[in-house]
Amino acid sequence: MIISVVSGKGGAGKTTLAASIAQVFAAEFYDLDVDAPNAEYFLKPDFSSKIPVTQPVPIFSEELCDGCGICTKECRFHALYRIMKTVYLSEPLCHGCGLCKMVCPQQAISYQDSLVGDVRSGYSQRTKNMVHVGDLIIGSTRGTYLISEMVKKIDRDKLSVIDGPPGNSCAAVAAIKPADLIILVVEPTPFGFHDMQQTEQIVQQMGKNYLIIANKAMSDASVEEYFKNKPKKAALTIPLDDRYHEANLKGEILSQQFSEIYRGLQQIISPELTRP
Amino acid sequence: MTRQISILSGKGGAGKTSVTASIIKMMDSVVAVDADVNASNLPILLPYTRQSTTAYFGMDIAQVDHDQCTGCGACLTACQFDAISQNEEGRILIDSDCEGCATCAFVCPVNAINMVKRKGGDWYVSCMDNGYLIHADLIPGEDNSGKLITKIRSEASAIAKEQDIAYIVIDGPPGTSCQAISSITGVDLVLAVVEESLSGISDYRRLAELIQKFSIPHFVLLNKAGFSAEVENKIILSADEFGGKVIGRIPFDHNIPQALQNLKSLADMDEYKSIIGEILKQITGN
Repeated sequence: MIISVVSGKGGAGKTTLAASIAQVFAAEFYDLDVDAPNAEYFLKPDFSSKIPVTQPVPIFSEELCDGCGICTKECRFHALYRIMKTVYLSEPLCHGCGLCKMVCPQQAISYQDSLVGDVRSGYSQRTKNMVHVGDLIIGSTRGTYLISEMVKKIDRDKLSVIDGPPGNSCAAVAAIKPADLIILVVEPTPFGFHDMQQTEQIVQQMGKNYLIIANKAMSDASVEEYFKNKPKKAALTIPLDDRYHEANLKGEILSQQFSEIYRGLQQIISPELTRP
Repeated sequence: MTRQISILSGKGGAGKTSVTASIIKMMDSVVAVDADVNASNLPILLPYTRQSTTAYFGMDIAQVDHDQCTGCGACLTACQFDAISQNEEGRILIDSDCEGCATCAFVCPVNAINMVKRKGGDWYVSCMDNGYLIHADLIPGEDNSGKLITKIRSEASAIAKEQDIAYIVIDGPPGTSCQAISSITGVDLVLAVVEESLSGISDYRRLAELIQKFSIPHFVLLNKAGFSAEVENKIILSADEFGGKVIGRIPFDHNIPQALQNLKSLADMDEYKSIIGEILKQITGN
């Protein structure tokens, strides 16, 4: 079973709560916020492996390429360009689709693996399970590819927690898609509600089972007010509390430090785990 | 000459948008850009009147003409994104993983696949009392390509030039991937808003590395500060290492989220107006 923690808005508390959920249920952890991975500061895994993730990209044979430029015209990602009679690849734009190789009349293009990022793995004493962190090469456009490659490796027979990326684009979708249960974290502010609504829309369209957690609430009243006319209410509200803030910024896991967080998460998530 | 300032953080929720809105509110004349197109929040804090709405089209996507399709499956093996499947009746289906590469259309022996336009969202030009706001709404789940960011930034440049406005201020997306790059290329200065936390440091360092690649100067604004001198110190050392000048410090204060709740920015709060004014002076060089 896979639980994905997402929010739309950054900084709502995805990583904080994903780390806590993994601790409460001793779950395997996947940090899929690949261009700003932070879970390791909470889980403190003892990293024991680093595996490169690659994607095939084209290389051009100098002998065979006659510089006709067909590939540069066909590439829909504008990843190929030609100067004089030489074709060059702008690698960050390449999606590895293989079209250039197919259209080349000279068969001058072959593919070779190029690094997209790494997956570091290690055991966490705090969650009593493995932690996998995706590190995208800084500035890369291939985050969704790295996420998908990591998702393929998840053992669905075990309980795993995914810490997803912020936003509502295809990278978020890639982290939502494999999940059996979505934890939607909302910061109860106009920003947070705005971004969460969009994420909720994606989750609903995909027909996923989900729970909402309102995090950093200024008051219960404001949260209740917001959810007043909504069919789906917040399953748990966590207040904006200086103690939580301080523990969090120092890399403590909230559920380990505060029994009310432990109990709260256990109460709302346990019934979902045993559902047929 | 227009000066472009991009406000970024690496980490989400560090305070980019509240800082950006506060700065914009204190400027005499500005073109504001919300480059966080898939979680656009800047307009929530800025009073504006919409002038125009333009549809944005992202990558084309593949569409199967079922009358032509023989169900041979050539497209299935050609697709590198697992976006094509075939159901029990042999019908070819294309799902939302389609990245629009057109390889399937190329390999189809009967030309049954066409690449068709797909609307990715809308972008808007709006008027504010002190200038213009350009923002966009990506349809949830769409490919967050830098293309839309590039589009709204070029629109902002055109307006700034036409209206003779000296500054473009960009509220950037979180992260350090292609969207961040689209918000950095060609700007004159980056203001990095760094949250006082271990995550904040880590994401700032990734961002600073990216900024360095573009040889763009950057300033650092410490946010949500005051809980850990040790973490704050680490941020200052990191800023030093990457050549970022620390130009301000905003404490962790419940009054700030409370104000945001009521759609007030720091510029509307007496105790923070002067800090924002000082930051504005520093980033505009006035």
